[in-house]
Amino acid sequence: MLKIDPIWQADIQQKNFRLVLDAMSRPGRCFTLHTLPDDGPVVLSILATLLDAEVSLSDPHSLLRSDDWLMLQAKSALADDADYILCDAMQLPNILPKLGTLPNPDQSATLILKVDNLGTGNHKLRLSGPGIKEIESLSINGLNLDWLSKREDWNGAFPLGVDIILIDDKSVAALPRTTNVKVEVA
Amino acid sequence: MIQRTIWVSALKELPAKDLLAMTTEVSKDWMLRPKSLPQSGLGMMKLKDSAFNEAFYLGEFPISTAWLEVTTADGLKAEGAAQVMDDNVEIAEALALCDAVLSSELPGWQQVYNMVEQGVAIREKTKRERKVMLARTRVNFSLLDNVGDENAQD
Repeated sequence: MLKIDPIWQADIQQKNFRLVLDAMSRPGRCFTLHTLPDDGPVVLSILATLLDAEVSLSDPHSLLRSDDWLMLQAKSALADDADYILCDAMQLPNILPKLGTLPNPDQSATLILKVDNLGTGNHKLRLSGPGIKEIESLSINGLNLDWLSKREDWNGAFPLGVDIILIDDKSVAALPRTTNVKVEVA
Repeated sequence: MIQRTIWVSALKELPAKDLLAMTTEVSKDWMLRPKSLPQSGLGMMKLKDSAFNEAFYLGEFPISTAWLEVTTADGLKAEGAAQVMDDNVEIAEALALCDAVLSSELPGWQQVYNMVEQGVAIREKTKRERKVMLARTRVNFSLLDNVGDENAQD
């Protein structure tokens, strides 16, 4: 009797989780999410897949509605203390995410950056590192390049650092902290 | 009017199939949207022992929660929620719907209210029966005073 959108259903979330896992394993490659056009924003599908009441989320650029927070159940936190940080990639990266500790580098933040387009765009990234055979190219539209220079700072003391998930209106790609990124102008 | 705090527990006294049939009938042309995800699972009851004041889990109990928003065919909106000791999330959804219907007096509220009254009557009956059972098991310790202490020295 109660209509619950597919993004909140376990089977869709499991498929999307698999895609995020694949994206993390194959940095720079774009994966199309299992959502329908009227299911709401893709960003919400990703958050619905990754979050529960045990983790915290920061939304410094106010991309979520108050109703979304209730459904996600995640604890609200400031960006410097959050497990997940949702940001508009066009804005300046004026945050200081958790980078983890040497015994527990996994206790760092995961950044979810909302871009305009993945696969096409004015910035072309050349990626190398684990999960990439030689070089992977990723074109992006709507990314403030300051995010990449900040990422370099944050990941400077590897294994400390942050992992980044990039999303547009239909797909997802990832930049784990192990990936080397060089920027070319497309 | 019976207080809102009683509604859910009173309705819970009724057979689940009656409750679900009634809520399906009342809400057939309405749009129901979750405000938070309906969930069912196990709750853990945590207590502290009296000797060392250390926390321990007394046990688990089934729990379901629902919080929803109702939009009627006429465009009226209302919210309702329920948290019940039951492992069937549909029951929690139905009770949350009843909570919304009664709190905003949506069409069909009288039908729901009649069921609340039936539930209250069942509760009262159960309470009376328990009281009688308790009275039957009561022990009058005052009689022991007349027996005296067998070990007392003369």
